[in-house]
Amino acid sequence: MLLVIEQFLNGLQLGITLFLMSAGLTLVFGIMQVINLAHGSFYMIGAYVGATVAAYTGSFLLAVLAAVGAAAGVGCIVEMLVLRHLYARQHLDQVLATFGLIMFFNELIRIVWGRQPVFMNVPGALSQSIQLLPGLHYPTYRLAVIGIGLLVALLLWLMFAKTRIGMQIRAGSSNREMVGALGVNINLLYTLVFGLGALLAGLAGVMAGPILSVEPGMGESILILTFVVIVIGGIGSVRGAVAGALLVGMVDTLGRAFLPSILRTILAAATADSVAASLSSMAIYILMAAILVWKPRGLFPAHG
Amino acid sequence: MTRKQITIGCGAIILILLPPAALLSGNPYLISLTSRIIIYALAAASLDLLLGYGAMISLGHAAFVGVGAYTIAILHFHSAGAEPLFSWPFLFAGSNNALLTLPLATLSASFAALIIGGLSLRTTGMHFIMITLAFAQMLYYFFISLEKYGGDDGLSLATRNSLVGLNLGNSSHFYYLCLAALFVFLILAHRLVNSRFGLVVRGAGNNDRRIKGLGIHSYRYKLVTFVIAGGSAGLAGALLANQTEFVSPGLMHWTLSGELMVMVLLGGLGTLFGPVLGATVFLALETTLAMYTEHWMIYMGPFLVLTVIFAKRGLFGFLAGDKGKNG
Amino acid sequence: MADILLKVSGLHKSFGALLATNNFSLTLTRGHIHALIGPNGAGKTTVVNQLSGDMPVDSGTIQFHGRDITRLKSYQRARLGIARSFQITHIFENLTVAENMGLAICTGLGHNFRFWRNWQNAAAIKNELPLALERVDLLHRAELSARHLSHGEKRQLEVGMALIGKPELLILDEPMAGLGPGGTVELAKLIKKQKGQVTILLVEHDMDVVFSLADRVTVLVYGENVATGTPDEIRHNSVVRKAYLGEGE
Repeated sequence: MLLVIEQFLNGLQLGITLFLMSAGLTLVFGIMQVINLAHGSFYMIGAYVGATVAAYTGSFLLAVLAAVGAAAGVGCIVEMLVLRHLYARQHLDQVLATFGLIMFFNELIRIVWGRQPVFMNVPGALSQSIQLLPGLHYPTYRLAVIGIGLLVALLLWLMFAKTRIGMQIRAGSSNREMVGALGVNINLLYTLVFGLGALLAGLAGVMAGPILSVEPGMGESILILTFVVIVIGGIGSVRGAVAGALLVGMVDTLGRAFLPSILRTILAAATADSVAASLSSMAIYILMAAILVWKPRGLFPAHG
Repeated sequence: MTRKQITIGCGAIILILLPPAALLSGNPYLISLTSRIIIYALAAASLDLLLGYGAMISLGHAAFVGVGAYTIAILHFHSAGAEPLFSWPFLFAGSNNALLTLPLATLSASFAALIIGGLSLRTTGMHFIMITLAFAQMLYYFFISLEKYGGDDGLSLATRNSLVGLNLGNSSHFYYLCLAALFVFLILAHRLVNSRFGLVVRGAGNNDRRIKGLGIHSYRYKLVTFVIAGGSAGLAGALLANQTEFVSPGLMHWTLSGELMVMVLLGGLGTLFGPVLGATVFLALETTLAMYTEHWMIYMGPFLVLTVIFAKRGLFGFLAGDKGKNG
Repeated sequence: MADILLKVSGLHKSFGALLATNNFSLTLTRGHIHALIGPNGAGKTTVVNQLSGDMPVDSGTIQFHGRDITRLKSYQRARLGIARSFQITHIFENLTVAENMGLAICTGLGHNFRFWRNWQNAAAIKNELPLALERVDLLHRAELSARHLSHGEKRQLEVGMALIGKPELLILDEPMAGLGPGGTVELAKLIKKQKGQVTILLVEHDMDVVFSLADRVTVLVYGENVATGTPDEIRHNSVVRKAYLGEGE
């Protein structure tokens, strides 16, 4: 039972990371109708900048600020230099150009930081474990990640529900023409939304730094999970991103943790392990396919 | 003769004459490099059926290359080992005979395309792009989890497949096999896109809503195209496995899907012959850049971005004039 | 009125709070040109989309030949003989004029899983294609990419495509929109030529066109059928004059 709770928390933590990645990206898709493959690069930049700043200054807080700033900055620059030229283009052009961006950023990272993974320490104050229940110790850092993620989700919700710009963004993701009709500066709004998405990705990256290895190409594996989340949740829907992220985080984590032991009850140990390994690595895609058959536009389709 | 016919004719002659020319001039390595280009050209041209004609932006085409390649490797693995591939309903020990393995590779890739396409084509636009990518990645992780077939490390072949009358171990023989596969594909695909079937697919690619308004159920046509393209990519994968005598999940990685897309775009979308040119230029560029710097992608990336933003017709359109379109 | 082709009763459609179609009923007589007019935002295109099956209806029924087609998809309705053109020109821009027309012909040939022979060599296409192009005066444009056609020619092509397969009902959604005076005259002539061979529901802005072509006219205001009658009756109907002609463009 304790193991279940622990894995549940792990799933929640992966879900939070995925939510940070997908919340921004789903808005970019929904509002600008542009498919951006380079979103994972902002995650990677956040992780690298964060790891470096943490190593030099020893301050995790500074690392987070630098990572978030760098990712948002690069995001805005990329939007202004490249993405802006692609809004009116076909999806194919957008895919190819942002694929080029990925190549560029991955290689840039290799040139600056080398091919070896960079290590990032868990900040000292959070390096302990907390006893949640008798017999259940859980790393403080992971709890902090969950906490920060929930906080960001709350802030995003407040922004969308209460502020003017939030309402404009929401209006834009469900009806693009309306934003223009409201007399909003579209260029600025687009850059801001894109920058916000990059900022969240950078935050996800730096927070994942101490948990995962920081290496070139780390952005792509998370990007594809993010796509699965967005497909499940529905393009342009932040609510869908929340649901999709939690669903994917849970299914992936719990599948990897418990499928082997479940299958062992019905299969021979060796067979069970190999089947479980295959199944758990494919679980979220099977989930996606199932949801697709049921609801081709995702759980919470944003466009009428 | 039109400019387009001249371009295609010159290309065909160069490709046919390359092996003897390379041997005579003392550059035999050109044969294997060009074999590789031809194989990628086949994969890219098959992707062009989807991108350029049906407007199905699949970002998972490498999955089918991978399935084709793994079919070869697994058949080889069992034919070399003691254990049969399966013993029911009949005993099948695997095979190393190209007359059997190449069609099987094509078939299994087609089957994968039928499942993936069948599900993915329920959606359109951005959903379709992301879903094809996700399914390809699923296959990637699936093959990583197959410890029996090498998992992450992949699987080596002891020899290339055997084919009556040819020695595939000989680089020239193998080259001509690849070239024949490419030519046959291009001829069939050219007929295909100009047939009634192709007309419907092109119409659906141009304006799907209108096709439905005309009373045509475009899903089936798109799915058949997806299966044909997937099977052809599988054949390319089968040839690739034979050439490198090695397969790994890396073949299905989405970066390969992306590179195939780049080849199509570079060469010219919806031209079939263009992707052949695109594959040549891409691989030549990669090979050359890699000689000077290991960080060739730092140049390739921005080059791509600029190509997308500024060049629209592709190289084939440049060489063959505006009539390059439609095969 | 024995020969009723289409009968629409109590059609409702709303988008959120907006009631786009309100208890709309309409009866089309075979062989007529029936015009549907109304001020901007009256919901004409919404009605058309529901008739063609491009948009689901909320409630109400649509009967074609006495058969309930309310729940049929657009392609199923197309097979029954309902063809439409779109307000925004809806052709295959990347294909040639001949290919556009060829596709329309292909739809009548059952399935098109023919992979080898060039589409132009199919017997049905060889017979029908030149005639179909001739009918809308586009034979000389056959090999041109459709995107290079003039605005009026695109409309001609679209009407030509809709006429393939001899539909019983042709829905034309603002065919004159965006055309210059010359184009309008050409197209009006073309539509007149079809009179009697096909029943036409003509959604149109241009009053001169409507009153010169139509056998009957229905006026739509806020999604509601406020009057139906001959052009003369409509011209003199006081409700219509007040609701539409008085304040319309």
